[in-house]
Amino acid sequence: MLNKFDIQIREAREHAVIETSGYLNDALGEQLAEKAQELIQGGYTQLVINLEQTTLINSIGISILIEIIEALTEREGTLNFCGLSATQERTFRMMAIAKYAGIFPDEESAIANL
Amino acid sequence: MKDPRKPILEGNLQTQNTAEQTMERLIFSLSELEHLGQTLISGHSNFNHSSKTYLRITLGTLQVTRGAILRYHPTRQNLEVVASAPDEVFFPLTVEPDEVANLLQHPFIERTAIPESLEQFFARSAKLVETIDIHLWVPLKIQDEFLGMIGLGKFLGRETLEAWEMELLTTLAHQISIAIAYSQMVEGIQSEKFRLFMLAESAPQICQLLQPEAAAEQVVHQAVSLLDANAGALMLTRPELQQLEMHYTFPETLLEDSEEHNGLVIPYGEEAPAPPEVTSADVLKSVVNEGIPGHCPSKSDTLFGGKDLMAVPIPGRDGDVLGILIVGDKEERGGSITPFTDEDVILLDSFAKQAGVAIENAHLHQEALEARQLQAEMEEARKIQVNLIPDTLPDIPGYEIAGHYEPRGPVGGDYYDCIALPTGRWGLAIADVSGKGMQAALLMATLRAGLISELTRGGATAAENREQSNLDSAALYAELTEMALILNSLLYASGTEEKYATFFYSHLNPETDILTTLNAGHNPPLLVKSDGTSKWLGEEVGGIPLGMFPNDMVSNIAEYEAEHVQLTSGDVVVYYTDGVTETVNVEDEYYEEERLVEASKACKDSDAEAIRKYLYDSVMGFQGEADQFDDLTLLILRKQ
Repeated sequence: MLNKFDIQIREAREHAVIETSGYLNDALGEQLAEKAQELIQGGYTQLVINLEQTTLINSIGISILIEIIEALTEREGTLNFCGLSATQERTFRMMAIAKYAGIFPDEESAIANL
Repeated sequence: MKDPRKPILEGNLQTQNTAEQTMERLIFSLSELEHLGQTLISGHSNFNHSSKTYLRITLGTLQVTRGAILRYHPTRQNLEVVASAPDEVFFPLTVEPDEVANLLQHPFIERTAIPESLEQFFARSAKLVETIDIHLWVPLKIQDEFLGMIGLGKFLGRETLEAWEMELLTTLAHQISIAIAYSQMVEGIQSEKFRLFMLAESAPQICQLLQPEAAAEQVVHQAVSLLDANAGALMLTRPELQQLEMHYTFPETLLEDSEEHNGLVIPYGEEAPAPPEVTSADVLKSVVNEGIPGHCPSKSDTLFGGKDLMAVPIPGRDGDVLGILIVGDKEERGGSITPFTDEDVILLDSFAKQAGVAIENAHLHQEALEARQLQAEMEEARKIQVNLIPDTLPDIPGYEIAGHYEPRGPVGGDYYDCIALPTGRWGLAIADVSGKGMQAALLMATLRAGLISELTRGGATAAENREQSNLDSAALYAELTEMALILNSLLYASGTEEKYATFFYSHLNPETDILTTLNAGHNPPLLVKSDGTSKWLGEEVGGIPLGMFPNDMVSNIAEYEAEHVQLTSGDVVVYYTDGVTETVNVEDEYYEEERLVEASKACKDSDAEAIRKYLYDSVMGFQGEADQFDDLTLLILRKQ
């Protein structure tokens, strides 16, 4: 799974879900940022990023996630993460991502808490 | 009549209007500067994200409609257009180091007065200059650190900026420079914070992994993530072969383009050639040989896809090098590849030490599991083997018989039996299956089942009937030979090349006292005659062990042959396995056949059980305090 990367978008009326798979590095991160930007510009301010299929993230991936949070915060939007491994969750808390975005075990609860 | 004061009034009015406008713009500028300051301290770490706000404030304050902010990336040596009005996409502009030095010399560069030393740079920037219609450049810097540039288009309603506007621009440029520096600092802190956390987090995580494959995978993944690399690999040493073997690559396709993609093996222990012939494989060798990190620049060769490689040794507890950890192509934001730094080497080296503990833990755990599994298997095998050895031996009219089986060390494959045939004859068998453990026990069980099946189904029994009626010993020979081939075929089909059994079979007719024997590679039993002479049975006609070769090859190498001996009163036949003759004493001497002959002759007049005990005591007395690892089996047949 880590050897290929992909992004799936699921748009609903009030929110959109971005699901990534693969190594969240610069390549996947830039795609993610671009998709998130498109959704934000399209009017979505409630986003969920599902990282269940992304078990590996580097510092560039983290910085891109922070940028998405910043972009949404500017529009008073909300971002929730789901599908994080225990290490990822600890990383997100340590990097203060959890301060500005919600962390939920699954997509359903992440959407419900937008 | 014209009012003579009008020009003066108009002039005053114009001056007043201009002053008011200037005042208004100054108030607006101050308010925008405050806004800019707020943006700076808003907590938004990413300059690229805030750059549009900075550009908007700059253009609005200076009443310019077009402009751009460019951010300098020292590792890439280029300027990235992070914000532009109109908003368009531009390729990054390459900046040579001497051009950076020249740009730092000028607070402003006007389009009409470009210094000669920067002409080439601005020529490369032609598309941006034309699109934005840039008239004035402002290099962004803090002290001597070049951070980027602001490019401004035409000034609205005027050719140049007034002095106070230039001062304002200087202030704005300074603020934007601070924003870039702040962004770089935050990005750096975030990155280092992430790395330190990952380093601290990864140690307990990988040390918990008890499967060597899972540990290898995690070690590579963590290293790749830690170093912002886009590839990684783990190679482990095989000290006995002096070679490095690939255990895991990320991505899986890392070696796809190299010839070694099916399993990379690099011999080490040899001296690496001198540059420029050094390949990436040579670098990896030297990492193991010298135990220090190594670097292989990108495009050195096609191994690892020509990536920029950094490799560090993975130390074991005893100081040996367990293997090497490799990362490839350090990424930078924007997709470019940047060289690994000295700090990266230190970081990966620290991580490799943790990885060494994790890998050793996983291997030790695996060994413990295998040992436990082997022990359980041995226990099962022992049960099987013990069940195959008869608890008691039958009474043969006119004969005494005694057996002894003593497992010593790991489960072996010794077997003996005395089988009553339907016609009152007896089959005595002794065998030694190669190898140890479950496979040996199962092979022995197969041999026993095949033997009993053959003896009771027909084969030798049918021949025996003929022998009974016709006294046709030749037919019995043929049937025994055929039985040996059937058993050979059975064992060959059920085992591997290394699994075989030495086997000696004796067909005893107690009415005629004829012992017909067949040897398949077993130690020849000893016949001690009542007169004290002795001979080895089956020595001359010994075939090869059962199950070693297919039947057609057996026929070409050494066919199984039977022979018969006439037993008389007081004759003793000593069957044994090599655990007897190969018993070693503390002086590393073997018991050997001569001692067996001597001991057998010394006790030949005793009954079979006493002979068994005498021979066993003789062997054990010889062994003394020495260790013994092979089973000891004796089967004594004595004609009363």
